[in-house]
Formats: sequence, C-alpha cells, structure tokens
Amino acid sequence: MHFIPPVSKNRIISKFPKCYNPQACLQMKEDWNEKAKSACLDRAARQHGMDRLKMSKAVVVGDLNVGKTCLINRFCKDAFDRDYKATIGVDFEIERFELSGLPYSLQIWDTAGQEKFKCIASAYYRGAQVIITVFDMADIKTLEHTRQWLVEALRENEPNACFIFLVGTKRDLLSAEECQRTERDAVKIASEMNAEFWSVSSKTGQNVQEFFFRVAALSFEDAILQEIELSSSSAVRIGDGEILKVDAGDQQDRAARKPSCC
Amino acid sequence: VEGREEGSGVPAFEKDPLELTVEDVYDISYVIGKDLLKVSRVGAEVSDLQFKIVRVLEMFEIMVNRYNLSLEELRMERDNWKEELGRVVAEGSNGNIIGPDKLVIDLKDPNRPRFTMQELKEVLQERNQLKAQLLLAQEELQLYKSGVMPQPQQNMENPPSDPPLTTEESIEHKDEKTTIQKL
Repeated sequence: MHFIPPVSKNRIISKFPKCYNPQACLQMKEDWNEKAKSACLDRAARQHGMDRLKMSKAVVVGDLNVGKTCLINRFCKDAFDRDYKATIGVDFEIERFELSGLPYSLQIWDTAGQEKFKCIASAYYRGAQVIITVFDMADIKTLEHTRQWLVEALRENEPNACFIFLVGTKRDLLSAEECQRTERDAVKIASEMNAEFWSVSSKTGQNVQEFFFRVAALSFEDAILQEIELSSSSAVRIGDGEILKVDAGDQQDRAARKPSCC
Repeated sequence: VEGREEGSGVPAFEKDPLELTVEDVYDISYVIGKDLLKVSRVGAEVSDLQFKIVRVLEMFEIMVNRYNLSLEELRMERDNWKEELGRVVAEGSNGNIIGPDKLVIDLKDPNRPRFTMQELKEVLQERNQLKAQLLLAQEELQLYKSGVMPQPQQNMENPPSDPPLTTEESIEHKDEKTTIQKL
C-alpha cells in the first residue's frame, strides 16, 4: 500500500466534462464510456488504481506571445502576469486529478514559441497523448500558424495517437462580434485539424479550468480504455497457451493500435 | 599678368594640356601678346587677327578654369564616397552579417551570446529534473503535514515511474524519462 497525498478538492472530476463548441468537438458523449466507468469503479473499490498512478503527457505549442505560459499558469497556479516573458526552451507543470475516484496526473509541457528555441522544444514533443495548439484570438495570423505547429508536433508522435486541441486565448480583448467571427474561423480550422476548439481568457480565467478538465477527462478515459484492451488481449493469449509471446505481442499491439480518439 | 621667362622656354607650352592651370594660360597669353606686338609693328592689317587671338585666349582661360573646378568637385565627391564606404564597412562588421551565415560578435558586449545550444539543453534538463524533485518533495511535505504518512521512506519507494500507458517507453524522450523516474 502506497501513500499519495490527497488531491486538492478543485481537481476532483466526477462528471464527464462537456466540450466548448459541439461544432468542433472530439467526443460528443454526455457521460464516461461504460466500460471505462465500470473499470474505474472496480479499481477504486480494490484500491487497485493506486499501484499505477496514471500519467499522460500534454504538449502546448503555438506562436510566441499567444499566451501558452499564461494559460498554464492560470490553471496550475491561478495566477496571471500581463508582462511578456519568453519561455526558454521548455518548462513543465504536473497537475494531479482525481477522476472517477482514481488518481491521475497530467504533465503539461510548455514550449517556447520563439523560433530559436524550436530545436530544443521539439525534442519534447514525442510521447504526447495530447497536443494543445494555441493561438491569440486578437492576432489572426497566429491561428493560421497553428496548422504548422500541429504538423511539427505530430511528426514526433504516432499518427492518430493524440488528442488535438485548438485553443484561442485572450478572448477578453475582443468584442462580442469579433469573438464570434474569430471563433467561426477557428472552428473551421479545428475541424480540418481534427481538433477540439476552446476559446479562453487566462486574464479573466474564463473557460480555462473547463478546458483542462476536458483534456484530463479525455486522456484519462483513453488511458483506462487502452489498459482494458491490453489486459484483455494478453488474457486471450495466455488462454491460447502463448504465454511466452505475451511480452512481444504486447509491444506490437501498443505500436500498432490506433486509439479511437481522432 | 606677371612676365616670367622669355622665348620658347615657356614651361606652359611643354605641359600636358589636361594639367594646365589658369596661371599657365596667363603665361601663354603674355608670350603670345609680346609676339603680337612685334608683328603689329610690321602691318596694321593684323589687328583683327590680334583681336581674335585675344578672344581665343579668353575662351581658353574659361575652359581651363571650368575644367579644373569640375575636376576638384569630382575629387571631393569621390573622397566623400570613400569615407562613407569605410563607415558602412566598419558598421557592418560590428555585429551584422559579414558573409553568408556568419555573425560577428562584439567581445566587449557583456550581453553577447556565448553559450552553446548543447549547454542550454543540459541546463534545461537539469532544471526539469530539479523541478520534478521539488514537486515530489512538496507532495511528501504535504503528506507529513497531513499526517497520512508516518515514515519518510515509504513514499520514496513509490515512484510512478511508468510513462503514460498510451505510448511505448522506447519513444519517450531520454531526459523526460529521467524526469518521470524522479517522480
């Protein structure tokens, strides 16, 4: 039995979080996947989840000064600094959640937007379950550039293995009409990228927590479902008497599998 | 006009025409004037020719004068450009591009670039590891404070060392792995 410090109250997600805009949404369902739900219940009852604290990796990319660091700081530290300070290379935060009664951690990798740091930051793209492409809603060029950022982030990852989010920041700077217009453009690009769109303000905090809860919920559920799939496939092999091949088969399965996310 | 040497020994006649000065023109005029005086004693009909020669000498004076002024102007202009060129070249080598893909660094600039990308990578890696350790230590501290964990050793043996389930360990980045191991 291990000890894990209790998750803070505002990081407990019990209801499945909704998307921001149904027109650019990765999963429309209202509740957790049934299989995942029962697996969570089972694990939580047996304290089984504790032996393997699940952790997913999210990378945040986008042009310089769009507010990647501000977005993360608003969520992780509930702080906002209006002064621009370039991120050197990469930085990271770890957020601990409790989802469906199980502990879960999200590594949030903050990357530098400046061109000169790209060669450092891109080394941290690999192995991500979540790619968050960020743009400044008040600077439409940065929306165009999200395509390229996504291409670069996907290059380091398995095809179709990542949840992709498109996040527009600084919505507090826009009038209602401007906001609507920009969101319409963003939804279009989000559907091209197979991404889920969110519109946030790190300054006011609007939608920031909702967004990260959604990221956590989708990646958590995916991790649970993959674990179920893995354990059931090895069970079949054991039944087939192919015990010795389990490990190798596992590896191949992992490499070949395409999660249902995209 | 001051008279200088008599006869054919006038140096102005020997000079390169492009190096003639207005003074040379006056010398020439003096000599020709003297010779004309000798000629005019012989016949008055040459006075018309005398007048024409004087006129040609005046024109000659103007042309030599103008030529020398233009030459001087061109020289000044050339010198200005030379100076300008020197200035631009000096400025260019002060930190701007001096050749394709080359940069000159001012060694007196305290804020000059001086560390390599590899060094920055290593520092970042170390920072990430320390940050991961700090997070771990903070969690442990939280445990002690809340009284959940009575003995210090136990939590250390529970690093959630596995990378996320959705990817193979082999594709995890090297230093990221160590970060996770620290966790």
